[in-house]
Amino acid sequence: MRKSFPAEDLARDGRFRRARTEDRFEDPRNQFLPPGRRAGKLTPERPDAAHAARQMMHGIFVGEIQALEGAGRTVWDFDDDQAPFALKLDMARQCWDEARHTEISVKLGEWMGTEVGEFAETAFLYQAACNPDPVLRLTGVNRALEGLAIDVFNTMREFGQACGDPVLSFCEDWMLADEVTHVKMGSDWLRRLTEHDPERRERALEFQRVVDKLFSFRGFRGEAEDSPIQLARTFRRMAGFGDAEIDTIAADAEADSEEEGWRAPVG
Amino acid sequence: MADPSAPRSPFAPWDRRELPGLFTVEESARRVGHYAWIEMRLFEALGGWVATVPELDVKTTLGRHCYHHAWHAELWHKRLPELREMRPERLIQAPNAALEAFVAALTEPEGRDLTIEKLVGVYRVLAPRKIAAYTYHLAATSQITDAPTIRSLGFILDDETTDWREGEMLLQSLIETDEEVARAARRQAELEVLITRAGGIAGPGSLGDNPPSKSSSSASTVGAAS
Repeated sequence: MRKSFPAEDLARDGRFRRARTEDRFEDPRNQFLPPGRRAGKLTPERPDAAHAARQMMHGIFVGEIQALEGAGRTVWDFDDDQAPFALKLDMARQCWDEARHTEISVKLGEWMGTEVGEFAETAFLYQAACNPDPVLRLTGVNRALEGLAIDVFNTMREFGQACGDPVLSFCEDWMLADEVTHVKMGSDWLRRLTEHDPERRERALEFQRVVDKLFSFRGFRGEAEDSPIQLARTFRRMAGFGDAEIDTIAADAEADSEEEGWRAPVG
Repeated sequence: MADPSAPRSPFAPWDRRELPGLFTVEESARRVGHYAWIEMRLFEALGGWVATVPELDVKTTLGRHCYHHAWHAELWHKRLPELREMRPERLIQAPNAALEAFVAALTEPEGRDLTIEKLVGVYRVLAPRKIAAYTYHLAATSQITDAPTIRSLGFILDDETTDWREGEMLLQSLIETDEEVARAARRQAELEVLITRAGGIAGPGSLGDNPPSKSSSSASTVGAAS
């Protein structure tokens, strides 16, 4: 088995449909809103709430698969001298967590009335897990990607509460707990691995910022009242994010949204 | 209630544990080092394979089992300093080149159409060998002096047998045709040859020495590091 596994080779069964990230971003159906306007916070009052929630649930599902695959590759791709044993243990633990999230997401999707393959899958989450530097990979996955997961799960948890759906809010709350743990792992490892290498830490944080900007989907994730995915400040703080970092993510998302308006849904 | 001042044995009447065991501290540590090595190689491989298998149930099972073996490796890592090995990495190694060759062959398949080959290697060849070696260690070591190893072996064997069963059930559900039966059998035979050459996960003597033949002397093995 090769070290380093490209996103285009990710193995899926016949139900899945792969879309190129650029096609997803350029899909005209995702561009009907003018700059500075978004679909709005996910609430039961939105006319398309049921469809949007199912689409987001499917996006979570494929995101969990890719997070599982990314953590697994980190376990395999790096030799012991590149990645300490304790880091690999954390990544193995993350594999189990993401496998569980995949199972939860399948069942939640069925509960919400969607099915595997109803929406297309892009591989840009996994692509963040392909960096050849373990520190950059960990920062991209465990701080940017898993940070996004915190925001998404908190949004869905609140949506479940607002809908009076105890199954949805219960499951999202459990997954949220795991994601806080994963982000904290990323924060801790970033600090430990770059303790004596500030230049590498800076590179890692810059990579995280690039990934975070991508994951903000031009304001789809942000702090504006009408951002469909809300930035979860409290849980991010628990996971080791500083207020300045969260401010930067919020500011970047807002600036980006003013540029071209909402485009890409999760998935 | 019995008289609280009456003397009692430190061993309850039903506690039949015995002091003698086959392993010295050094022998137990040597084996534990090999166990740590194979658990590490296995959890790495399972993690790597997750992205390569299209079957969703296999994908999530490999993710779960990956952590089980990582945890086993961690338990063995922690046990080594307690067995007077202050540089655990010295003992965390394959017992011989033959086991390294086995692991290289085990982890070689990558294609999305090779799930049977991947699972056969883990669940029909390696897992039974691990269960056998761990069970032997459990039976052979001193039940009192090596109790911390025995406790870890109990947790690990519980995982191993559960995971083995799950892996075997996955295989039975994937193998549907005569050709697939043949593929699985071929793969199993290829890897059995390699692990047999290695002598098992702890090298020759993974399951102890062969019992003495009738013509050999009847020297006791108690206390010997076999």
